[in-house]
Amino acid sequence: MTQLHVEDVAEGDALPPLTVVVDETQMFFFSAATYNGHRIHYDKDWARDTEGYENVLVQGPLQAALLARAVTDWIGPRGRLVTYSAQNRAVAFPGQELVFGGRVTGVRIEGDRGLVDLELSAGRGDDVLMPGTATVSLPRREGSA
Amino acid sequence: MSTVQDAASLIPPEAAARVGTVAATAVGEVNRREWQRWAVSVKDHNPLWFDTDAARAAGYEDVVAPPLYVQYAVLGVTPLDQLRADGSSGAASGNLSFPDAPRRMAGGESTTFYLPCYHRDEITMVRTVESIVGKQGRSGPFVLVTWRTTYTNQRDELVAEASTSMIARP
Repeated sequence: MTQLHVEDVAEGDALPPLTVVVDETQMFFFSAATYNGHRIHYDKDWARDTEGYENVLVQGPLQAALLARAVTDWIGPRGRLVTYSAQNRAVAFPGQELVFGGRVTGVRIEGDRGLVDLELSAGRGDDVLMPGTATVSLPRREGSA
Repeated sequence: MSTVQDAASLIPPEAAARVGTVAATAVGEVNRREWQRWAVSVKDHNPLWFDTDAARAAGYEDVVAPPLYVQYAVLGVTPLDQLRADGSSGAASGNLSFPDAPRRMAGGESTTFYLPCYHRDEITMVRTVESIVGKQGRSGPFVLVTWRTTYTNQRDELVAEASTSMIARP
């Protein structure tokens, strides 16, 4: 992984978008890993007849984890996630193309690190499924601190 | 049958009385294999979660858990015959019950991370019910529950602090 430094980012920069199509295998393993027994993620009859959806739903926490992954992939090994916030706005179904990304809304230097504020979004086409924000801490480039 | 349901009527007094109280406490050990299973289910192959050398090169003592994983390290065990009808456990949120609003979904989460978690760290979660409010949405009334949660490690260091919410609809 290449390391991102605070000098590399400026307000308005876009994060490299992460494009994902979640399938039911991935949903099964995520439910298993999070001890999530909610039928809405694996029982199609329950999702349709009891909860009124056309299919099982991609877990909100999986969307949140993918959105966070877009951030941690970008900041590199010496970057740190300081705050992370995401709101479930709309549901997603397996097989849909989801795009996780964001942009830089602020950059400031604190000591030998830089703090970068991000506005995040998980989307499907023009629909925002999950808006979010994050602050990450990035190292300063050698010799600039 | 009434067509307009009052959002506040969805909140039973027993649930309303829980505001401000501790909803759940839990202790759990952070486990490398479990966080790696979580990470691959997100297809998150970040070397910090898997590769000791890479983690050390980045300044950590060893591989670390993905920050979002800490909330799962404390999950307990629920006998299957004690699950809710919808299959969910409810234990981590204090078993708040909204019989008139049984359809539940995660609202949002907002977390501040202070320290990394390592294999075999022991995490204590304390979750408090911050608010329970009835709201009127575009598709009808719903209940918004907000919890505040702290995660501390075996050295009583604050690892993370979170505000999470849940929406329950009729």
